[in-house]
Amino acid sequence: MATVQKLHATSLSTTASSYGSCKVDTASADQFPAGLRVLVVDDDTTCLRILEQMLRKCMYLVTTCSQATIALDLLRESRGSFDVVISDVYMPDMDGFKLLEHVGLEMDLPVIMMSSDARTSAVMKGIKHGACDYLIKPVRLEELKNIWQHVVRKKWNENKEHEQSGSAEENDRHKRGGDDADYASSINEGTDGSWKAQKKRRDAKDDEDECELESDDPCASKKPRVVWSVELHQQFVSAVNQLGIDKAVPKRILELMNVPGLTRENVASHLQKFRLYLKRLSGVAQQQGGISSSFCGPVDSNAKLGSLGRLDIQALAASGQIPPQTLAALQAELLGRPTGGLVLPAMDQPVLLQASLQGPKCIPVERGVAFGQPLIKCQSSIGKQFPQSNISVEDIPSGFGTWPPNSLGTVGTPGNFGGLNTQNNNMLMQILQQQQQQQGVLPEPSHPINVQPSCLVVPSQSSTSYQAGSSTVPLNQSSTFNSSAIIDYSLLSSQPNNVSMGIGQVIDGGLKSTNVHNGYIIPASISPSASSCAVQADNCTSWQVRNSAVSFNTASQLPELVPNACEIQRSYDTKAAPLPYQGPGRNLGFVGKGDRVKQELNLDFVDNAKIQCLFFLGAMGLQIPRRLSCDDWLQIVERTL
Amino acid sequence: MLGFGADRLRADMNRLLALLFHQGVLDEQFLQLQQLQDETSPNFVSEVVNIYFHESEKLLRNLRGLLSDRELSDYKKMGIHLNQFMGSSSSIGAKRVRNVCVAFRAASEQNNRVGCLRALEMLEHEYCYLKNRLHELFQMEQQRVMAAGVRYPMQN
Repeated sequence: MATVQKLHATSLSTTASSYGSCKVDTASADQFPAGLRVLVVDDDTTCLRILEQMLRKCMYLVTTCSQATIALDLLRESRGSFDVVISDVYMPDMDGFKLLEHVGLEMDLPVIMMSSDARTSAVMKGIKHGACDYLIKPVRLEELKNIWQHVVRKKWNENKEHEQSGSAEENDRHKRGGDDADYASSINEGTDGSWKAQKKRRDAKDDEDECELESDDPCASKKPRVVWSVELHQQFVSAVNQLGIDKAVPKRILELMNVPGLTRENVASHLQKFRLYLKRLSGVAQQQGGISSSFCGPVDSNAKLGSLGRLDIQALAASGQIPPQTLAALQAELLGRPTGGLVLPAMDQPVLLQASLQGPKCIPVERGVAFGQPLIKCQSSIGKQFPQSNISVEDIPSGFGTWPPNSLGTVGTPGNFGGLNTQNNNMLMQILQQQQQQQGVLPEPSHPINVQPSCLVVPSQSSTSYQAGSSTVPLNQSSTFNSSAIIDYSLLSSQPNNVSMGIGQVIDGGLKSTNVHNGYIIPASISPSASSCAVQADNCTSWQVRNSAVSFNTASQLPELVPNACEIQRSYDTKAAPLPYQGPGRNLGFVGKGDRVKQELNLDFVDNAKIQCLFFLGAMGLQIPRRLSCDDWLQIVERTL
Repeated sequence: MLGFGADRLRADMNRLLALLFHQGVLDEQFLQLQQLQDETSPNFVSEVVNIYFHESEKLLRNLRGLLSDRELSDYKKMGIHLNQFMGSSSSIGAKRVRNVCVAFRAASEQNNRVGCLRALEMLEHEYCYLKNRLHELFQMEQQRVMAAGVRYPMQN
């Protein structure tokens, strides 16, 4: 009790100081995120203290409170002195949800719920009650860093409401967008992966035939960025087909598409990308003209291709052979980055390559071949040929072995093809056969296209979302955590802060939310320089071989981790070697660090990330090529502390 | 000579930490705590851990009390306590303790008295182990600081 009282007293004093500072520098209080005034309510003193410290580290002004009733009084007495409330769910005097309701009704502040209960039902309850976010304990610094977004978002949404009271539709879209982001943000650990998938499917349904305008920046002066969803792209493609690839001009395409809100510029840029993609395919085709000739022979008329036009990668998804996430990745790649290079799962690569083999041939034949469709069209053609030429299909994989690695700019190292085994071949055939049977089925692809720009994680850039790998600033966990964190090996080298730190966390989150295959065995064939890691596809067909990034599903996080770990291992091996305690001669090394423990732990964030990665691996009991012994841990710890 | 001791203590501390991580007693959240420690809060880790010990012992006592009632065990209340225990344990990085809490909670949700008793024993065991080792760690830290402090004036 005494501690509680003391803390309460402290909280009051903090309040006083925060009030004081608020009055003094209102200017800085407006500059997010520093100076954000946070009220934390939690009956658990330990968590309260930790949160307080974390929020202080984020440069927020913290007030803590261990009782909900007192917190409510505090809020009522001094309206407008807090920007956001973080509250625990289970509290003795008042249910956290009740507090949430009160605050929402009376003060309209964003409220973030918090609990160690990570069950979907609990999280759902929080959202239903109107929580902006739901954090799972243990709360991490990165998550707290992002809470300012909720404040901004809420404010902007309110502004929008006032401004655009007329266009309710757009409001709904924005609000939904906001809500979706809210749902997604930080609700990662322990949340059911399927729940997220459901949500995304719902999103996809909602966005059918709509050009989804996502405003990155709610500021009205910036044009909303058009996200080329699958449906939208389909429309584009069919429009281009109708016009003929040569005659397709943005203006006419725009007219044909008839999508509200789409501008000629959007279409023009997309068309440019599309053309580049086609060019690439044709360039590839010339190299492999020999192989593909047998396939393209039977390819008939425009009509036939046109009828196949409805087939899509989604149909492939429907076949169930390729998990939606990989397909989404595939799609995302196709849609988003034709020039960036398509990185595809090893399993899909034969499919794509096959298509590309055929594609280029098709193109000269049929000008109407569309962007996404060549893949499937060609496959279907191949599929149709199945009865006649089984042999030729089977030849493909072996043919791949000789495929130049960067012909499409996509294919992984030739080694990948070596990895293709009969299993993949069989799967491939099944896909193609099913392809024949299914037509125009449009399952909802998981919606990550909008949320995961599947680009490479590159060191110098950092990212707003995990999936995006790091193109911009360090981790913004409010963005959708699709459990597809991308970890780049180059992150090991030198990295700004949070990116690295967060990654370890994210992995954990991702791991928790998936039923990861424990005991997944990672083959030891990891080369230091290469960033591809051969993964045995036995356990799960969605495991993919990666060549340093692209969005992939939760399951495939681990192989990414492992190479990291191995890299880490290696670096530790070389550097940690001299560390073993030797005696006086070693003092020099330590003296410098001697006072570290007392002061702030000058953890090199990169090191921390490495350690975190390792910890998680160890925690998951994964077999990594070199199992960390106690000595290994010792070396790690010594390096860190 | 004293500096030598400080370094050795430091090595021992590191070894202990490494062991605890290896055993899964602690996880990376503990590292996060250490990072939060800085000039403004120089004793943050030990402060938090002590709060944790204090609260946890209360919780354990409550749990023990709830389970000792043979007639009607208030499983719901147990669940509440466990939630808190889980939250605080995971917040400081006490991984094994947290895992036992999870199992305990599952048993309590099934009104499984025997399971709860077993889980409670395990919980107490894990908690004691954690407490002992962390005490050890903090003791070493104190000694190391003293030893290092003596050395530094000479260093300059």
